Amino acid sequence: MHEERDSNRHPPGVRIAHWAWVLALLILVSSGLQIFDAAPYLDASDQTDPVHRLLAIGSPAPGVGVTVLFGHTYVTTGWLGWVPDGLGGESARAFPSWITIPAYQDLADGRRWHLLFAWIFGAAWALRMACLVRSKALGTTYAMYEPLQRGAYAVTTFVLIPLAVATGLALSPGLDARFHWLPAIFGGRQFARTWHFATMIALCTFFAVHTFQILTHGPIRRLRSMITGR
Amino acid sequence: MKRRLFLAGGSGALLAGCSPIGTALNDHASVRRVLRAAEALDARVIGGSGLAREYTLADVRRDPPVTSLPVPHSDRYAHLIASRYEGFSLRVDGLVQHPLRLTYRVLQGARKVTMITRHDCVEGWSVVVAWTGIPLARILAAARPLRAARFAVFHCMDRDETGAPYYESLDVHQAYHPQTLLVLEMNGRPLSPDHGAPVRLCVPLQLGYKSAKWIERIELVPSLRSLYGGNGGYWEDRGYEWFAGI
Repeated sequence: MHEERDSNRHPPGVRIAHWAWVLALLILVSSGLQIFDAAPYLDASDQTDPVHRLLAIGSPAPGVGVTVLFGHTYVTTGWLGWVPDGLGGESARAFPSWITIPAYQDLADGRRWHLLFAWIFGAAWALRMACLVRSKALGTTYAMYEPLQRGAYAVTTFVLIPLAVATGLALSPGLDARFHWLPAIFGGRQFARTWHFATMIALCTFFAVHTFQILTHGPIRRLRSMITGR
Repeated sequence: MKRRLFLAGGSGALLAGCSPIGTALNDHASVRRVLRAAEALDARVIGGSGLAREYTLADVRRDPPVTSLPVPHSDRYAHLIASRYEGFSLRVDGLVQHPLRLTYRVLQGARKVTMITRHDCVEGWSVVVAWTGIPLARILAAARPLRAARFAVFHCMDRDETGAPYYESLDVHQAYHPQTLLVLEMNGRPLSPDHGAPVRLCVPLQLGYKSAKWIERIELVPSLRSLYGGNGGYWEDRGYEWFAGI
């Protein structure tokens, strides 16, 4: 470990961006799954098309939850398809109440949370980029990390986060009217929705691995350094 | 080791705590006000300019899904269907110089345009539809809105189970957009009752709930505040964004 170089390494902007991302990611995932519940399937096409369906979560009968992924059917009762509904019972719904905002089915409010924190998510990225430009050399920011870590941070910052924002914007009919290429580069609107979901999975995977690594490599010191900068 | 376990438990609780905390905050008036802040920002950044992508007939799906409220079940609507909309007329009034009353026959006889666009539902699905109808701009031009008219409100024939009427609204800018259509035909056939016959709206730059069905009256108003819940639409009064461009 490079103890000496660890001190004073995170400028305030980086720390603010980091924690804004943590908060925004948690809320975006929870509210995003709420939104997904309103149309619990993903297609590889422009318009909705069951022929190109990659994922479908449903309930063929009361008390049974089923997930169809790439044509394979899994019984997922209790976890996906037939789940706690946030109103004291269980019902046909893709994702369970304990992971969505609000807990009960409410597309309107889920969208409000999602669309507000999407701005915070994007603003944090802009702030991170501003810090990067100010620190000038990319190398100094990432030099302290192992190559694998460096790669993971770079992919998250430069690929996954911009992709999450871009695929989300590709779902906007208003933006589509001005930038036809935006949904097109993702294979159409429904395909963009699929990429949006896949990016969420990738970001959650990063979140889990990153948290695990912090916990196993001096968690107190690393948390402190990301909070106080020292 | 204890510290690690503590932190692991802490981050687990963070994840699991997100839903209950968010749910608890969701009903606070001040939180709701903050959540609503994004809409104004979205409206400003996304706006209502540009032209929705147009598709070809080959892209049109034959069995477009039906959502929203059930078909109006009043005696009057049943009678309209039975009479093939013989007694129907669309009123255009409010802040206009020339209030209009357009019969179904007059609407059918008007010069129509066809546009094949994608209908994006707020739920997340999309469907390509061939819409045939009259650009709303043409009808508004005939009615000559007054300067004070800032919004077009679409009063519909359907009611929900509590008796609340369905309505929608657009600002004048979006109402005059060349792709904002008063639709009479869908995929080459007259609108069916479940898709909003005899007249519905199509607003391809916004999500599907702005494309109101079963329209019987277009009212031009200076403000949306005094109408029903004051948010400019049935769904808007139930928490959805008035600006539905994303």
